[in-house]
Amino acid sequence: MAKPLLEARGLGKRFGGFVALDGIDLAIAGGERIGLIGPNGSGKSTLVNCLSGILRHDSGTVSFDGRPIDGLPAYRRTRLGLARSFQLPKPFRTLTLLDNLRVPLLYAVNARPGRRLPEGEIAERALAILGEVGLADKARRLPRDLTQVEMRKLELARAVATEPRLLFADETMAGLSPAEVEEILEVLFRLNEAGITIVLIEHIMRAVMRFSTRLVVLLAGQKIADGMPQETIRNPAVERAYLGE
Amino acid sequence: MTTASIRPRAWPALSGALASTIGFWLLAALAGAAVLAAFLLVSNEYFFFAGYVVLQYVVLATAWNILGGYTGYVNFGVGAFFASGAYSTVVLSKLSQLPLPVMILCAGVVSGVIGLGMGYLTLRLRGVFFAIATLALAIVLQTLIVNWDYVGGSRGVYVIRPEQAPLLGSYVQYLFLLMLILAVAAVAIARTIERSRLGLGFAAIRDDEPAAEAGGVPTLRLKLIATVLSGALMGMAGAPLPYYVTYLDPDSSFSLAYAVNSVAMPLIGGTTSWAGPIIGAVLLGTVQQLATVTISSALNLMIVGLLLIAFVIIAPNGIVGLVTAWRRRRSG
Repeated sequence: MAKPLLEARGLGKRFGGFVALDGIDLAIAGGERIGLIGPNGSGKSTLVNCLSGILRHDSGTVSFDGRPIDGLPAYRRTRLGLARSFQLPKPFRTLTLLDNLRVPLLYAVNARPGRRLPEGEIAERALAILGEVGLADKARRLPRDLTQVEMRKLELARAVATEPRLLFADETMAGLSPAEVEEILEVLFRLNEAGITIVLIEHIMRAVMRFSTRLVVLLAGQKIADGMPQETIRNPAVERAYLGE
Repeated sequence: MTTASIRPRAWPALSGALASTIGFWLLAALAGAAVLAAFLLVSNEYFFFAGYVVLQYVVLATAWNILGGYTGYVNFGVGAFFASGAYSTVVLSKLSQLPLPVMILCAGVVSGVIGLGMGYLTLRLRGVFFAIATLALAIVLQTLIVNWDYVGGSRGVYVIRPEQAPLLGSYVQYLFLLMLILAVAAVAIARTIERSRLGLGFAAIRDDEPAAEAGGVPTLRLKLIATVLSGALMGMAGAPLPYYVTYLDPDSSFSLAYAVNSVAMPLIGGTTSWAGPIIGAVLLGTVQQLATVTISSALNLMIVGLLLIAFVIIAPNGIVGLVTAWRRRRSG
């Protein structure tokens, strides 16, 4: 593997006496499509929160693009190109969809050295990104006018608007119908083709298996498997985790 | 011919947002001048007295709204900022012969610094915990002033007005003019923020802080900017107070009524727009002044309380919210 885009070594996180993450090693190369799975409470979201800077990890190191990012606040990581969407959509509810996307364009993209999109171009780009997820005709509406699947698309669009190099999509498809899951998958495939490395955190196995080129499995805060999807799900430890003894 | 050919090229260079901002400042200055002219025409000293209080609340409500309305952090420590502005004037008037406008600016710096300190200590707290912390700040500061003999301690302090007013006829008229300028400036600042990148960042923080951070918004820095601006404006609103009342004491200058009013006015007017605090302050401030004269001064806070309850139930987005909803219904 070439030099990894993101590398975590011995990552640990405790909540009081509860060990949420226990010495996680993870290396992600540019362009990969990784599925991150594990039973409820296995630490998937905690891992994403620690890597994206919403939570501080207690031990271990994380580096992005060869540079350590431990202790860097979330907004700085976003500006470096590490984006995430939230498991429960968190739209800016008093802002129109257009303004929802102007936030990352103005604060993440325009904050990068050498980038300075003029206001007109920002609006254009926001509209274009909304168009990519099929929300262009609702640009002037408020998030409360959206359906559940549209809300998830907005969540994804807002992460994409930061122009990330690595995107964590945290349960983007939970509760959606098979057709809607398909829609979101298509969006993710397109983003990956455009060069964005994607980590998909998901429970819907059919979607994970179709999407991923590599599968990482967490159980009780530990990484128990990491490899080709078809081989990994036949791994006895993974079967035990999901089906019991 | 030449002017006609130059103008179309010169105007597009002024971007729409900038032109509208300049336009607004001009309009605000005009509105200020009109208010002054109207008061001068009436030429009853009492109106200047009462008008000063209403304008002071326009500044306080607008300042509160920059932190409370735009970023969603409820500050109950209004009295602390307001009084530190007033006491900074007391100290300066004892030490120097500075003109009042300079003292107002100094008071802005003092309370801005207090805002920065409060922000660093408390902005990691959310919701009701932040509100409680700001209330605590007011109590701590009041205790300090009560025990500071130089500014009169708990006895209070007399401040003597200069014999002559620098600009207008009477000193009260001069104070009114200064507060009018402050009000216009505060509103113009609030509106400029609202339309800017800063305002969008504030709104993102108000709506969802982790999501804002994930979108690249440096939330702590923006919240500090809001606290400093808000605190500085509150202090500037308090700076002329010693000359207005001529006797300043901790109990009245730190009064919780300032906080209650500064919270109630934007809530009644509407917190998401610069117009909300003005509407709330003019409405509530005027009603309070009328009630003070006609019924009793104790009735003030009850009026505020009742109006607040009514608005929270009937129109949670204030008067501005009612108007926008009505417009939306009509157009949609």
